[in-house]
Amino acid sequence: MFMDESLEVVGVRSSWRKSQQRDQHSKSCQTKPVHSAEAESQVRCVEDSSTQTDPQEQISQLQLSADPPGLVEFLRRVEGVVIRELVKNAKSHAFDGFEVNWVDQQQAVTCLHCLGHPDAQQRGLQVTGVSWNCTGSVIACAYGRVDHGDWSTEKSCVCTWNLDRSKLNPKQPDMVIDTATPVMCVSFHPLRPSLIAGGLYSGEVIVWDTSSTQDPVLAQTGISQDTHREPVYEVKWVPGARRGDLAVLSACSGGRILLWSVEAAEGRLSLTSGYALVRQQVPQSSSSNKSRGGTNIGVTSLTLSPWDLDSFLVGSEGGLVLKCAFSSQTVAAVPPNGESVALRAPAQFSFSARAGPVHSLHFSPFHRNLFVSVGTDGLAQIHSMLQPRALLTMRVSDSYVFGVRWSPVRPLVFAAVTGQGLVQVFDLGRRSLRPAATIDQNTGGQPAYCLEFSPRQLLAVGNADGTVNIWQLSAELTVQSSRESVVLEQLANEVAE
Amino acid sequence: MSIQTHKGVIGTIVVNAEGIPIRTTLDNSTTVQYAGLLHQLTMKARSTVRDIDPQNDLTFLRIRSKKHEIMVAPDKEYLLIVIQNPSE
Repeated sequence: MFMDESLEVVGVRSSWRKSQQRDQHSKSCQTKPVHSAEAESQVRCVEDSSTQTDPQEQISQLQLSADPPGLVEFLRRVEGVVIRELVKNAKSHAFDGFEVNWVDQQQAVTCLHCLGHPDAQQRGLQVTGVSWNCTGSVIACAYGRVDHGDWSTEKSCVCTWNLDRSKLNPKQPDMVIDTATPVMCVSFHPLRPSLIAGGLYSGEVIVWDTSSTQDPVLAQTGISQDTHREPVYEVKWVPGARRGDLAVLSACSGGRILLWSVEAAEGRLSLTSGYALVRQQVPQSSSSNKSRGGTNIGVTSLTLSPWDLDSFLVGSEGGLVLKCAFSSQTVAAVPPNGESVALRAPAQFSFSARAGPVHSLHFSPFHRNLFVSVGTDGLAQIHSMLQPRALLTMRVSDSYVFGVRWSPVRPLVFAAVTGQGLVQVFDLGRRSLRPAATIDQNTGGQPAYCLEFSPRQLLAVGNADGTVNIWQLSAELTVQSSRESVVLEQLANEVAE
Repeated sequence: MSIQTHKGVIGTIVVNAEGIPIRTTLDNSTTVQYAGLLHQLTMKARSTVRDIDPQNDLTFLRIRSKKHEIMVAPDKEYLLIVIQNPSE
């Protein structure tokens, strides 16, 4: 009844494919040749005239307000009494040496915390930069390496700790931000406590927002024609075009100093202006410079003047210390590399050269003209902006000196970190040139790379073994005495022979 | 006024009875700060003296700090504030 049957296979050719293929034609078009013509013109006769305003008559100074009734009599009455008291005060010795203790004076330097990220420490990463936020409660540290030989793509991180929290765990950061390459420097925003800018080994500059719950990256430069090609050694926040706006300034070892504006909406940093340092455009100082090979001047340190918003100082790999200006208009003598802005040459003045890379510079927060510089020659030099030669030279250590900062409360005190892991604190009010205090961090001879004073007079020091130590200095190093500004002024006015 | 040119005097302020500065040799923000704070302190000092002895009254107020000395000469309608650096 039912039998197996085999049928032929029926095939249907697909027809849609043919119908989808459209007709192809090629056409080309070209504009007609552009017609151009040259013509010259010249003025035949020249006339000049000038105008000037007439001298104005002096408008007599109006009395802003008539003397209130009784003022003159009152002043006459009290004048005698007050002058008597003023004279007595000037001559009195009643209060000589009279000191009042409102708070318990800290007698010794103590280490409050020793912070570290075990994961980064195990991988042998070093702390390359530390930064306090504007309130002084959060410390951020950048992990990276200073002893690279070649291009590194090792993952690294930026860690932050909030020192005001009671459950502070020194071995576990409150926030760890991962980065693709080692981070060379970090800087907190001076007004907003949650923004951090960082410079990476790959030349990128990134701004993170620690308060954002998802991705902390707020803006980044990415890799483009505009960005640095070399490791970024310094990143700073500078006042931007509008009031209250801040832009990011980054400096790399390829001699480029670039100014970026933060566009948070698009998540990128866009280049607003740039500067390039080349050897030919550096003003020669009076001392002779041995010319070293290469035309690019690698920037290893940068500091902004808190008094004059236009000038900044740059320290280079070759030992040069240069005064630069943001407003400089000279075009830089570098071949254009496809950047979106024209690079300018900022250097205006060259101070006496050092014998090795200048690792750190800092302007004095108390005097307009003074700054201190340190480098691999182990010396700390205090310069005045007005002269090329140093006012004062002090030997900090026999090894390299990696960082120096003026104390934010005492005009005569500064601290420097050495390649042996020591922190040397100098007090210029003392007669000798030896350090006022030496803090041994027990890092086993490993160098300390960076230091920062906090707004609350704590000192954070970042070391090569991956730890950040928070030190509280003794009272004599943090309490201002009355004549310090005067001594600093005298120091600044000395003329170096 | 010869007080302004006296040795070590940093600034002089004259304040009226409501605490508003009417004459000053310092900049605006410093003047406003000194005037407001010292007016309040002088009123407090005066009431302290009179509470202890109602027949007594405040004649002069001096505040000595680490960096300088502030002198206040009070009156019915005005207040004269002089800031001096005694160590100069």
